[in-house]
Amino acid sequence: MASIIVDHISKSFGTLKAVNDVSFEVQPGEIFGLLGPNGAGKTTAIRIILDIFKPDSGTVNILGGKMDEQKKNRIGYLPEERGLYQDIPLDRCLSYLASLKGLDTATSNKRIDEYLERFDLASAKKKKVKELSKGMQQKAQLITTLVHQPELIIIDEPFSALDPVNTQMVKDLLREQREQGKTIIMCTHQMHQVEELCDRLVLIDQGKALLYGSLTDVRKKFAKPSVFITTGDKLPDPIKGVGSVEKVNGDLLLHLINGTEPNDVLKTLVSKGVGLDRFEIALPTLDEIFIEVVKKQEGSR
Amino acid sequence: MRKFWLVFVNEYKRHVLRKRFLFAILSMPLFVAFLVLVGFMSVWVQSNQTPVGYIAPAGMLDNAHPVPEEEDQVFHTVQFIRYVDEAAAQADLQTQKIQAYYVISPDYIDTGDVRLIKSQKSGQNIGEDFIEFLQYNLLSDKPEKVVTRILDGANLIVRSTDGTREMSVDNWMVVMLPLLAGVLFIIAVNISGGYLLQAVVEEKENRTMEIIVTSVSPSQLMAGKVIGDLLVGLTELAVWLLFIVLAAQFAPNWLPIGQSIHIDGSSLLLIVAIYLPAFVFIAAAMGAAGATATEAREAQQVGGLFTLPIVLPFWFITAIMFDPNGAIATWLSIIPLTAPIAMPLRAVFTSVPVWQTALTIVLLNLCAVGMVLLAGRIFRIGMLRYGKRVSFKEIFSKQPTTAGQK
Repeated sequence: MASIIVDHISKSFGTLKAVNDVSFEVQPGEIFGLLGPNGAGKTTAIRIILDIFKPDSGTVNILGGKMDEQKKNRIGYLPEERGLYQDIPLDRCLSYLASLKGLDTATSNKRIDEYLERFDLASAKKKKVKELSKGMQQKAQLITTLVHQPELIIIDEPFSALDPVNTQMVKDLLREQREQGKTIIMCTHQMHQVEELCDRLVLIDQGKALLYGSLTDVRKKFAKPSVFITTGDKLPDPIKGVGSVEKVNGDLLLHLINGTEPNDVLKTLVSKGVGLDRFEIALPTLDEIFIEVVKKQEGSR
Repeated sequence: MRKFWLVFVNEYKRHVLRKRFLFAILSMPLFVAFLVLVGFMSVWVQSNQTPVGYIAPAGMLDNAHPVPEEEDQVFHTVQFIRYVDEAAAQADLQTQKIQAYYVISPDYIDTGDVRLIKSQKSGQNIGEDFIEFLQYNLLSDKPEKVVTRILDGANLIVRSTDGTREMSVDNWMVVMLPLLAGVLFIIAVNISGGYLLQAVVEEKENRTMEIIVTSVSPSQLMAGKVIGDLLVGLTELAVWLLFIVLAAQFAPNWLPIGQSIHIDGSSLLLIVAIYLPAFVFIAAAMGAAGATATEAREAQQVGGLFTLPIVLPFWFITAIMFDPNGAIATWLSIIPLTAPIAMPLRAVFTSVPVWQTALTIVLLNLCAVGMVLLAGRIFRIGMLRYGKRVSFKEIFSKQPTTAGQK
C-alpha cells in the first residue's frame, strides 16, 4: 500500500492554476523527489497533501486514507517557510512543538537533547531562537520535523541555508531515516541533491507533472546515444558506428550514429586492441533533463 | 482535546512568564498607590496643625469642647483657643503661637458673619475644622444623637416603585458597581483582546503557522488561544482586585470600598450574564482582526476600533441616568457592543423590562458564537497569507480555499 496516493489534484488561486491535474504515488521506505523550478506548484501540492489547502478537484490518500488529527502525529513536516517562535528559548520552543506532535515531556526532552547534541546545538539550548544563526535555526527546524519519529517525512528545500558540512549531515540523516523504513518526500529544485538521494521522482512545472518514475528510468529515457570512455591508447579512426568524438574533462565522449548499440562499439574497440579503463553509457544528469523538459514545455506553449 | 490544553497552557504561560507581564500587572496598583500618595501629600502639605484662635461674643462657645476625633482619623483636627480680645490673638499670631484667628460677629446668629485673620503660612484645613467646631458647640445643648444626625445629614433612600431596587447615600456602590465593573471590563477586554490579536499575528510573523496547523486543528488552536488569552486578562484583573481587597483590609477608611457595601445580587448576576458573552465576542473580534492583518502594528490599529463603541455609553451617561427608559438608553443597552456598559448602568436607574434584558443577553450570546466561528474562518483563510490582507469577499465566499472550511 502506497504511503501517499495523489490522484488528479488541481488547485487554482484566482486565475492562476497552481496545480493542474497532478497524480503520483509515494511508496513506503523510499525517498521521493518532488521537483520543479521556483513557482512550479510544488509547495501547493505539498499543502494539499497535508490538508492545509483543499484541492478544487482530485483526491489525496495519505497513510491509508484521508488526513485526520491522529495522522498529524505520524507526519513530520519541514515547510519551505521556516518558522520557530523567536522570542522563547530554543529548548522550550522545541519542547512545545514536540508536545503538539503527541510526545510526552520526558521522551521529548530526552530526544531533543540527543538531537541538539548531534546537531551541535547543545550550547544554544537556552538561547532565544532569534539569537541563533539562520543555519542553526534550520537545524532546529529539522529537529521539530524528526523528533516524534514520524513514519512519513515531508521536507521542503531541506538544504537551504546549510553549509557543505551540515548539508552532508542532513543527507546522512535522511539516508538513515530511509534505512529505518521511513517514507520521505523531498521537495527541491536542487537536482544534484535528488540524484544523490532520491529513489523516484515527479517533476512539476507550471502546475503540471511532466516526468514521473524511478531515477534510473527517467535518466535512461533521456539518455542520448553516446558513451563515455577512458583510455590511454590512441583510438582508431574511424570507429564503426561512431559519428564524432568529444573530449570532456579528460574523458572521451563518443556520439553514436543512430541505430548503433553501445555493445557494438565496445566490441569494435576491444577487437581493435584499445585498452579501456572505463566504458559507460552516457546518462544525462537530472539538471540536463530538467532544463530540457522545462524548455520543451515552454516551447510548446 | 489534549492539544487544545497544550495550546491553552502554552499561550497562558507564554504571556504570564514574561517579565513585561509582571511590569504590566504591577504598574496599575503602583500607579494607583502613587496617585493616593500624591493626594495625601498634597493635603498634608496644605494643612497646618498649629492652633487657631477665636474671639466669640459673650455667652457664645463659653464651654467649648473640641470635636471628638474618630479613632482612625488620618489628619488631626486643629486645636482652637479662645481669646478675650483681638489684641491678644494678634500678639500670638505675631509670635506664631497660632496660625490664624477667627472673630465671630456679635450678631453671628442673625448674619453668620465671621472674620478670619491669618498668617501667610496658615493651612487649608482650618476653615472646615472651624465650621465643624462651631456647629458642634452651638448644638452642645442638644442630645448627642441629634447633634450627630444634624452633622451627618439624612440618609436618603431612593426606591423603585416595584421595590426591586434601591439606592441610598450609604449604598452608593449600587451606582458605582456598574461603573467600576464597566471600567474593569474595558481594561480586561483590551488586555485579553490585545494578547489574542498579538498571538495570532505572531504566529504569522514567526512563520510557525504551517508547522502548527499540521500538528493541531485550526479550531483547537484558536480555542486554546482565545481561552488562554482571556485567562491572561482575567489574571491581571484578579491580581488588581486582590490589591484592592488588601488595601481595603489595611486601610478600610481611606478607601470607599472598605465601607459598608450592600451589593445587590441581581446586579451582579446581570453583570456576569452580560460580560461573559461580551468578553468572548469582543476578544474573538480582535482575534479575527489579527488574522486579517499582516503585521502587529496594523492589527493593533484595527483592534483599537473595537474599544470605541464599548466606551460610547460613558459619553451618554447623563442620558442613561436621567432618562433610563428613553430611546438612547434603551438602544445603547441592546446593541451588543454598547450593552456591556449601558445595560448594567441603566438597570440601576430603572426597572428594565425583562424582554429587553433577555434580548440583550441573547443577542450577545449569538454575537459571541458567531464571532468565534467567523474568527476561525478568517483565521483559516488568512493563516498562510504573508503580506496580503484577507478581503471581505474571501471571508464571506462559499468557495473553500483552505482546510476545515467545508
